[in-house]
Amino acid sequence: MNIKILLSGDGGQGIQLIANMICQAAFETDFHVTAIPNYGLEQRGGVSLNFIQISDKKQVYPKFTKPDILLIMSPQAKERVEEYQENGELKLEIGDYESILKENNVPKQSQNIFCLGLIAKILEEKEILKKENIFELLEKKLSTKPGWEENKKAFDLGNTL
Amino acid sequence: MENNKQFLTGHEVVVQACIDADATHMFGYPITPGTEILSGWIKKCQDNKDLHFLQTEDEIAAGFTVCGALMAGSKSFTATAGPGTVLMQDAMGMADGMRLPFVTIIAQRGGPSSGTVIYSQQEVNLAIHGGNGEGLRIVYSPSTVEELYVLTRKTFNVAWEYRFPSVLLTDGYLLKTKQDVVLNFVGENVEPKPLVSEHTQKNIRNIYTFEQELMDELTNQKQDFDEMAKEVTEFESYKVESCDELIIAHGIVGAAARDAVDELKKQGKNVGLFRPITLSPFPKDELNKLCKQVKKIMIVESSMGQLKDLVKQNLDTQVEIDGLYKPAVGIETEEIIKLFK
Amino acid sequence: MSKDSKFCPGCGQTMILQTLYRILQEQKSEEKAVLGLDIGCSLLAWDFLPINTFQTHHGRVTSTMVGFNRARPDLLSFAYTGDGGAYAIGLQSLLWAAKRNDPITVIVANNAVYAMTGGQTAPTTMHGQKTDTSPAGYDAEPVDGMKLIRSVNEKAYLARTAVNEMKDMKQHLEKAIQSQRDGNFSMIEILSFCPTNWRVKGPAMIEYVNNMKESFPVGEF
Repeated sequence: MNIKILLSGDGGQGIQLIANMICQAAFETDFHVTAIPNYGLEQRGGVSLNFIQISDKKQVYPKFTKPDILLIMSPQAKERVEEYQENGELKLEIGDYESILKENNVPKQSQNIFCLGLIAKILEEKEILKKENIFELLEKKLSTKPGWEENKKAFDLGNTL
Repeated sequence: MENNKQFLTGHEVVVQACIDADATHMFGYPITPGTEILSGWIKKCQDNKDLHFLQTEDEIAAGFTVCGALMAGSKSFTATAGPGTVLMQDAMGMADGMRLPFVTIIAQRGGPSSGTVIYSQQEVNLAIHGGNGEGLRIVYSPSTVEELYVLTRKTFNVAWEYRFPSVLLTDGYLLKTKQDVVLNFVGENVEPKPLVSEHTQKNIRNIYTFEQELMDELTNQKQDFDEMAKEVTEFESYKVESCDELIIAHGIVGAAARDAVDELKKQGKNVGLFRPITLSPFPKDELNKLCKQVKKIMIVESSMGQLKDLVKQNLDTQVEIDGLYKPAVGIETEEIIKLFK
Repeated sequence: MSKDSKFCPGCGQTMILQTLYRILQEQKSEEKAVLGLDIGCSLLAWDFLPINTFQTHHGRVTSTMVGFNRARPDLLSFAYTGDGGAYAIGLQSLLWAAKRNDPITVIVANNAVYAMTGGQTAPTTMHGQKTDTSPAGYDAEPVDGMKLIRSVNEKAYLARTAVNEMKDMKQHLEKAIQSQRDGNFSMIEILSFCPTNWRVKGPAMIEYVNNMKESFPVGEF
């Protein structure tokens, strides 16, 4: 088993934060984890990627061309990951959830946490980890920071879809 | 979970390896993708008062402060990348000339010029031959995060044992990769010795009056280098038994190539991998032995042919050479598999 | 002195080095002193004194001695350089060593030219001075190392003297060494004879140095 996840979004959207949550939870569940971030020169605003592999066997080479799960959080990111699409992967595009996000008043800065909820659910279905594993890490990291209630709600929303 | 399993980035692993090699002084200048080695080391200095650092005004000063600290007998080092590797050649050249145990960690990024800040394998020539001399340097190219640890420590040890400038040549991908690792501490560290101290009275030079003096010095250095090579040269031959085609790759591309070989074997293709671990001294004998048995070699590298040139320089056998050359771009396992369709 | 001098006859550098050595002897510090040498005529000092010496690269002796000092702060670190090594190719490192107040002593032999390469314009070449690369006469003012370094370091001991003022030279060097022992940066610039490139000898050499003092006032700064 080797689940390959490619996360993509704009710099500042929090791609690296949710990548760390997924990786840390998988590592603590005793899987082999390999992750590599990728971003350009811009400190903010460029495309931010993270290639994650969660496996029962050690994967030493960090990059891949065919993700099993592909998260796209912005139009700019969609363009950047063009070459990784159409491989029969499970594609999660933020654009497809627009009305749900609106209905539930999910603020922009919590959208990454919503996506984390979506991915946590998929990983639980694949019996890789429990969504609680990720939620606990999230709580540790963000519960004392502003916007925690919104983040918590966004995670739960992603988790129930 | 294995008790000693840790989840670390390549940068963190390198810093730990420097500490475990008993390094005490780092001199450096921030440059992507090597900066986190400097900042990571400085963080360690906050709690450990035996560790020292200086963020210098440029890479030239970083290199020469390393030289000065080495003269005084401190295990010191620097880390740099791209244009910084170019500036570092000034001090590395002095280390070449004076046989200083100079340790540089090179985080390759795209070139020429400022290039990209991400990844490359284009600093092979600089690492070996960047000085105005003969390139008598030891250069390691690790392929995995765990190997980063082992070879970083080894870089210090060979530098102090044999007194040749030594390079840990890695790249932005490997350093930024975060992975579950078990750091394998094996063997003793070589003790540092000062070149000058209150117990010596030495006059050490790097400039000579006569042509012949310098040639004699270099002839001696080359003899020492060749002797050292017998002990230090390293390579990995992976599934090469009776293979017809041989992939040659180094560094992180070597890791992708290893996975490709596994997959190709499953497809019934008889492909093996030869991975030089020391790019200098180059594992020449093993290369030539393998090349007698194969019909074709396939060089795979993130450069337009710096590894190819090294292979050609060392090849005594006639063999067909083909390759995949992608300067400053990563090469994934799937692409390597496709080469053998 | 350990070996015959490799300097040109009449060169001022032997006087500087001998004075330094005499002080070290008086202070019984010969074993504790380490003399790093820039490239330029300063490299010729590599086996002149019976103390630890090593050559570095052009403009790089300051950084090298900063590194040495950080590894062995208990020894005395001297960086010996010419004006070109100090104020042109090595200025960035000199300024930063001074700014950080690294406790080393930089000794600059100022002869107003690049001497080893045959008399080209140096950062200390004076207005109107003819050189190999300023055949019509240099049309700018020279660099004032004292002012420059003072602007980045208030604690440093800084003095300029000349090879025809041996008593002052010795005193300034002693104070510079004390400054290093006290944990501060120090720099002594010494106006030095270059008969070969100035194409003068005897009394004219003294006159030349005395004229230099108009562009480069001597004393503590």
